[in-house]
Amino acid sequence: MRFFGKTSIDFMGKRRIWYVVSATVIGLGMLSLLVKGVNYGIDFLGGTEIVVRFQNGVDVGDIRTAMDKSGFTKAEINTFGSDRDILIRTPEQGEGNLVGERIRSGLQTQFPTNPFIVQKEDKIGPKIGAELRRDAIYAVLASLAAILLYLGFRFKFLWAAGAVTALFHDVLLTLGLVSIFDGLIPHLNLEFNQTMVAAFLTLVGLSNNDTVVIFDRIRENQKLFKSMDLVALINMSVNQVLSRTIITSGTVFVVLAVLLVFGGEVIRGFAFASLVGIVTGTYSSIYIASALVVEVVTKTKSQGKLID
Amino acid sequence: MKKYAGRFVIIVACIIVAVYYLYPTWRDYDLHQQLKNLSGDDSLQFVANHEAGLRDARARRIKLGLDLQGGMRVVLEVNVLRLVEDLAKNKDDVFNQIMKEVRAEAKTSEVSPVLLLRRKFESRQIRMSRYYRNLRDNNDDIFKFLEDESTKAIDRGMEIVRNRVDQYGVSEPSIQKLGGTRIIVALPGVTKEAEVRQLLQATSLLEFKLLKEPDVTYRIAETIDKLLAASARTDTLPGDSLFAGTTAPDTSRTDTTNAETTKIKTPEGELSQEEFTRKHPFFSVAIYTEQFKGVFLVVEDNKERVRRLLDREDVQKVIPNDMEFIWSAKTQLLGERGQEKRFFTLYPVKRNAELTGGVIVNAKWQIDPNYNRPIVTMEMNNEGAREWARITGANINKRIAIVLDNTVFSAPNVINKITGGHSQIEGMESESEARLLEIVLKAGALPAPVDIIEQRSVGPSLGEDSIRAGVTSSAIAIGLTVLFMAVYYRTGGAIADFALVFTVIFLLAVLAAFQGTLTMPGIAGIILTLAVAVDANVLIYERIREETAGGKTPRAAIDAGYSKAFTAIFDSNLTTLITGVILYQFGTGPVQGFALTLMIGIVVSLFSAIVITRVVFDMMVDRSGIAVNFG
Repeated sequence: MRFFGKTSIDFMGKRRIWYVVSATVIGLGMLSLLVKGVNYGIDFLGGTEIVVRFQNGVDVGDIRTAMDKSGFTKAEINTFGSDRDILIRTPEQGEGNLVGERIRSGLQTQFPTNPFIVQKEDKIGPKIGAELRRDAIYAVLASLAAILLYLGFRFKFLWAAGAVTALFHDVLLTLGLVSIFDGLIPHLNLEFNQTMVAAFLTLVGLSNNDTVVIFDRIRENQKLFKSMDLVALINMSVNQVLSRTIITSGTVFVVLAVLLVFGGEVIRGFAFASLVGIVTGTYSSIYIASALVVEVVTKTKSQGKLID
Repeated sequence: MKKYAGRFVIIVACIIVAVYYLYPTWRDYDLHQQLKNLSGDDSLQFVANHEAGLRDARARRIKLGLDLQGGMRVVLEVNVLRLVEDLAKNKDDVFNQIMKEVRAEAKTSEVSPVLLLRRKFESRQIRMSRYYRNLRDNNDDIFKFLEDESTKAIDRGMEIVRNRVDQYGVSEPSIQKLGGTRIIVALPGVTKEAEVRQLLQATSLLEFKLLKEPDVTYRIAETIDKLLAASARTDTLPGDSLFAGTTAPDTSRTDTTNAETTKIKTPEGELSQEEFTRKHPFFSVAIYTEQFKGVFLVVEDNKERVRRLLDREDVQKVIPNDMEFIWSAKTQLLGERGQEKRFFTLYPVKRNAELTGGVIVNAKWQIDPNYNRPIVTMEMNNEGAREWARITGANINKRIAIVLDNTVFSAPNVINKITGGHSQIEGMESESEARLLEIVLKAGALPAPVDIIEQRSVGPSLGEDSIRAGVTSSAIAIGLTVLFMAVYYRTGGAIADFALVFTVIFLLAVLAAFQGTLTMPGIAGIILTLAVAVDANVLIYERIREETAGGKTPRAAIDAGYSKAFTAIFDSNLTTLITGVILYQFGTGPVQGFALTLMIGIVVSLFSAIVITRVVFDMMVDRSGIAVNFG
């Protein structure tokens, strides 16, 4: 069984249109980030986060009233999977369990007839928050640097640069889309915490997987067809691996979709970000990574060989 | 045919090893399922019979993260600054000022507090030997000494925390050092957060201090009172609100016991409340009564005010150097029926402790049969017992305060000399409090206080939900993938599915072997591994299809497929592995669990995809000449 026969789609020809598309979506994403700000979880901000499960459904507005009355005006309130489960997050720091207790007593006062249990309670001091934030940034930068080095070693530097540019593109795009969708879909918790950063690092890995496969084929073809025009060669290579690209990305997509739907609250944000990531990752391998090389090569009229 | 025999043997060996490592997990599950169906005596019998097996299985099964089994994870930071402060001698204003600055900086700085301290000293060109050790020691030596002391304190702190946790009774606790000054404590299954916080943070410094003589105390209090009344700084004593609720309990030192009047009879005559407050600012909030001679009663609401009063410089000067005021740990309800209020007790004690908790060798909580309330009895070592006998013998009819972490639990009267080295602490409100106290006393005092800088707790129901979600999504994801591969790649696909099963088994076995922890993101990692595993096979099979279409024989096509696809598989997976390693370094807790399963998964899935499937193909093509159908 196969989905694709021999295809000859002119991928590179349409690339300029896709530059515009990418730039627009990233632009919108960055705008959203600017306007909404980053929805930091307490991992990076410090503070207290509580997830409670009520016996009966509650209205988020009532919870906000309760929190305002308790003095937590900066509290972030979300549903956590159903309208019985509420996530309350506030950056205030307090001695010991003070903040958590005040939140709990505030809820008890507001909902005397609707008992609740605490599912999860986290408290992070300010110093740790700053450390985790810094570590997260280092981790992402370190990954990109490590990949750049390794790929520079296996392929020529220009191609490695193209691959890493694609990764940057993917991170920015996903960041923007996560920001746009935050709060749009009910029960979808897209706060920026450690798990979300793990999702970003994962999508960097997955996107790179895809890019490397394409580059590997381009490299092989360059050996076989030494004098073929670069654009034509890239087109041919992408077409050849199209079957694999769609199937693999498709499989990962389906698996992540399963996680998104069935994986439970804690993983949902992670699944969403990874899902967006796999889509952009597949797309960027062609329209950012390879395209970048094409642009540089045509501008400088160099050979653009993949290997020395 | 023989060429794949070697690989075949390796694969079988791996399977055997995997089963060996996974067996405890299954056994643990199985035994607990059996246990669930029994009850009462049967279950006790079962546990007795299978004790070794139960323990062994539990120790070697795959560990579940806190986000899956519920529990608490706490990061403690040892307050090295306090330790350093306590080690200093001849502390003066300059020193206190320096400490203040270092404390402020240490809140946000990454640099070690000892180093910060050193820099402060050096920037002011003061030798550290002025406050530490001997005059002749130079800054380097003292710096090293302080650093050594901190390291020792942290190690001892870890030991003590471990002791306390062991006694508290948590199954599979995990206590580890993190960086220089931090301790991570993971307690699965624990739900009583407040108790755990108390357990971990209590310094448990136990001291026995003599109370000052009542008349001495009264004289000093009078001096304070006059000083405050005379002082023009009445801003800290707003008249009415000060008296808010401080009607002296009806055992006040005046002659009248008439609680209805707001006039207070004093030796100077009757005064109204405001007049009393103005003339006796101290006594109006720190109430001295005949019934509670030698101590002061302070209404709950006024505790802060009194504390501030006592902290004032002018007041401090009046208090003799060998004396200090310590608060009671608890309040008591006093007053006429219907008008009771909660009062703290303020104890004036001798600053130097007669005896400290180092001499306690055993502590036991019990219910005092006489009064039916929880108490903790303590036993001292020989040296302590002798000292205690001497102290009690010399202070009959005086009171000794039992001070724990700078609050007084009780201050009993010494009735006679105590020779057996026994003592007891009372004043706890509940059994669990007494139990915690016992643990904390037995385990010993922390050399330096610890702060809880990070705390995460997950309730058991969320843990169960997560497990259920994890199993469901794994099942669906695996099911879909298996189905797809079989349909799309036919026989080849079926073989890939076969290898996928091995991948999952090997992954879990490696996790068990390394005693790694499975977290919710870890389960996600396993699912992602499947996708990656599929990718390797897809690359190979697509290549095989291409080669076949190009005219190669099945045998040759398979060979070409594997070899040509290899570079792509290797490069792409290696980069993902790199991000996994980085993620493992940077992440904590659940995220580390994810990185772990991702890394193991990549390695294992490559092995399965490349080696196992290849061996199967070789067996099929060479032995039976079956034409493998790749769809």
